[in-house]
Amino acid sequence: MSRSQRSSPPQEAWFVVRRELSGKRTTVLSFISFALPLAIWAAISYLPFLWHPDIQLQISADREDVTTVYIAGDRVSKGFFPEFVEAVREQNEDVEVLLKSDDPLGGSTESSIRRANKKVLRHLAPVLVSHGIINEDQSKEDSIIYQAWADIANGKWVPNSPPLSEENFAIAKKNWAAMSAVSLTYDSDNFISIPLLSLIPQGKPANPDYLPAPDQVAKSGLKVLSMPGENDRPSMVQRIWHSMQIVFGGFLLAALVGVPIGVLCGTYSFFSKLIEPFTDFFRYMPAPTFSTLLVAIFLANDAPKIALVFVGTFFQLVLVVSNTTRRLDLPLLEAAQTLGANQRQLLTKVVIPGILPNLYNDLRILLGWAWTWLVIAELVGVKSGLTEFIETQGRFRNFDLVFPVIILIGLIGFFTDQILALLRGVIFPYTEEGAAASTNPIIKAAMFVPRWFREAVEARLPPDLPQRKNQPNEA
Amino acid sequence: MALAFCGVLFTQTATHAEPLKLAYSDWPGWVAWEIAIQKGWFEEEGVDVEFEWYDYVASMDAYAAGQLDGVGMTNGDALVTGATGKPSVGILITDYSNGNDMIVAKPGIESLKDLYGKKIGLEEGFVTHLLFLKGIEMNNLDASQITIVNTPTNETPQVLASGAVDAIAAWQPSSGEALKLVSGSKPIFTSADAPGIIYDIYYADPESVEKRRDDWKKVIKVWYRVVDFIRDEDNLDEALEILSSRVSITPEEYEPFLDGTYILTGDEVKPIWEKAEGLGSVYGSSVISDEFNVKYEVYEGSLDSEKYLDPSLTLEVLAEMAE
Repeated sequence: MSRSQRSSPPQEAWFVVRRELSGKRTTVLSFISFALPLAIWAAISYLPFLWHPDIQLQISADREDVTTVYIAGDRVSKGFFPEFVEAVREQNEDVEVLLKSDDPLGGSTESSIRRANKKVLRHLAPVLVSHGIINEDQSKEDSIIYQAWADIANGKWVPNSPPLSEENFAIAKKNWAAMSAVSLTYDSDNFISIPLLSLIPQGKPANPDYLPAPDQVAKSGLKVLSMPGENDRPSMVQRIWHSMQIVFGGFLLAALVGVPIGVLCGTYSFFSKLIEPFTDFFRYMPAPTFSTLLVAIFLANDAPKIALVFVGTFFQLVLVVSNTTRRLDLPLLEAAQTLGANQRQLLTKVVIPGILPNLYNDLRILLGWAWTWLVIAELVGVKSGLTEFIETQGRFRNFDLVFPVIILIGLIGFFTDQILALLRGVIFPYTEEGAAASTNPIIKAAMFVPRWFREAVEARLPPDLPQRKNQPNEA
Repeated sequence: MALAFCGVLFTQTATHAEPLKLAYSDWPGWVAWEIAIQKGWFEEEGVDVEFEWYDYVASMDAYAAGQLDGVGMTNGDALVTGATGKPSVGILITDYSNGNDMIVAKPGIESLKDLYGKKIGLEEGFVTHLLFLKGIEMNNLDASQITIVNTPTNETPQVLASGAVDAIAAWQPSSGEALKLVSGSKPIFTSADAPGIIYDIYYADPESVEKRRDDWKKVIKVWYRVVDFIRDEDNLDEALEILSSRVSITPEEYEPFLDGTYILTGDEVKPIWEKAEGLGSVYGSSVISDEFNVKYEVYEGSLDSEKYLDPSLTLEVLAEMAE
């Protein structure tokens, strides 16, 4: 490796047909390949002039006779926001007219007005939360909120995130004038029962809820991962474990049954002609089409899910394994036959050890294949695992909770694959990856773990395969 | 082996010591059971129950499949479930729909008439279908001018937002979600326009009522404790907290649902249980539902809707509580 670097000119071109870039450049490009999508995501999220078609409410209000309640944090379209604001202004005008009339209750009961007033007061709570005065769980701490209204009206407190609009300052003053006439502190038994004015909604430009910003996703991600289980809702760790059971369960079953069949097909034309045509036909039927059938056979719990992963993986696996087996160098078999190997010896001493490194790679790729069935499998019958969480939260449009889980599934798959790829070099040191791996200090340190496996494999190796393990390392 | 094992399980369910298996779903009148569940009132009353959370239509399917002792249904849907699956008997009227069932149309559509030549997404043969047809009838319109797209109720918000239909029929929380998801959409017809068309009732397996009448009466007693709790202004914040968390929305968003679902106290329910024609009585309402279902071929042949109602348990419990 180092030799090829030394021989190349110091200013190597970036674009050369079919020439590997240097290790350093590879690392830089791999980094950029992750950084670029992240940068685009961040730009769209944090640069307000890019996209941002919605308004995210910072202060909301209730509208009478409308059942749709917007709370701070909700998004409304830029077109609808002015309508919403206007509706609240008109409602306030009606209240002011009412207050000047003989019947300030306007036909409502005192208790319903008290309730409405309480809601008016609490719409200030998000402002207190964003100033860190209360936390989110305290948004019903009426006495603290009551005091905040007083402080704003008396000019003792000027909120800056979001800065209160002039008209809202005026509303705070008017409301406090009415409230302080009843009680200077919050008293649930002596609470104002003539209508108050609602704060006029305020908001800031935002992207739709389906594209939360990176920091939101990171924050929610931590929350999601540490989410404890309660009642019938499993914790995130339990969900991950459940999902992995489905994937690995289905995959291992498929491998257990499929590998022997594949090897037989690749070795004997008899099995190949008997089994492969039907397998080839069957794999074109998408696994999800069997979902209702699988539920009917295996009922609603994990069994039909594992069966779906099995159906989705098995047929592909048989064909891939048989093909790999068939690609084994013919001279190896001929040499063994010349040396007098019988049928059984050919299979167990030549074919199987010969294909193992490639078989390992096949299974690695097929494990990735099995992962792709996970989401569909978990929707079959009773929804479960990570998918159930994605489904439920997605339905409530909590996409900041959905993104971390999607990313998590990607990470689990990616790292499983990376680890398996590294291990391949350790288990099969005579392959190309093995040669590279023998110089990698991390792998060298980890070597003792699968040593038993390596030795077991080597014991069965045909003596004529090249072995790199005894060669001295260049480093 | 597995079959034999299942067999053993089934024979065990038939014995008496099993808890009553009860379904509840996202209709606000039934989410209210959550208060009793969380506060442990069933244990206090000494009745062994097991509440299972379902999607509404799935809960009726599970009941029809014999997996449940009781299920919350509208009086119309109980008839549909009875005609196509398994009969049941309504023993407890929990509430009537007072606006929570609604037809939500996208901006620009102001009335049912504007839907002519357009599409509406609703769950065919069930309560929202009935509401839609009632609206058509009250406005002297022709239902065949509007295309129905069969849509599971909890999918309706997304379907409306996708633009695949021009209106949807759903109840809260789905109807509210739709209103929120599609800015400027509005309800063009709701159950408040036809009060009494939809009574929400807890139905039980007739066999279970016969065998375990006392247990069922305890369940009803717990219900009226829930009603007292909800109707008390001082408990409102706590009640909203419990109810809203069951359906994963905020208490603020949940509050309007309580206006759209009129939860009935013992005194309010007594006149409704009296046999009369018209929507003021559950009997009259059920007859009207039955006629609708036959007319629009949800099922064939009229049912004896009286057989689906049994006020005796509620009335006994209320009498005992008054003592």
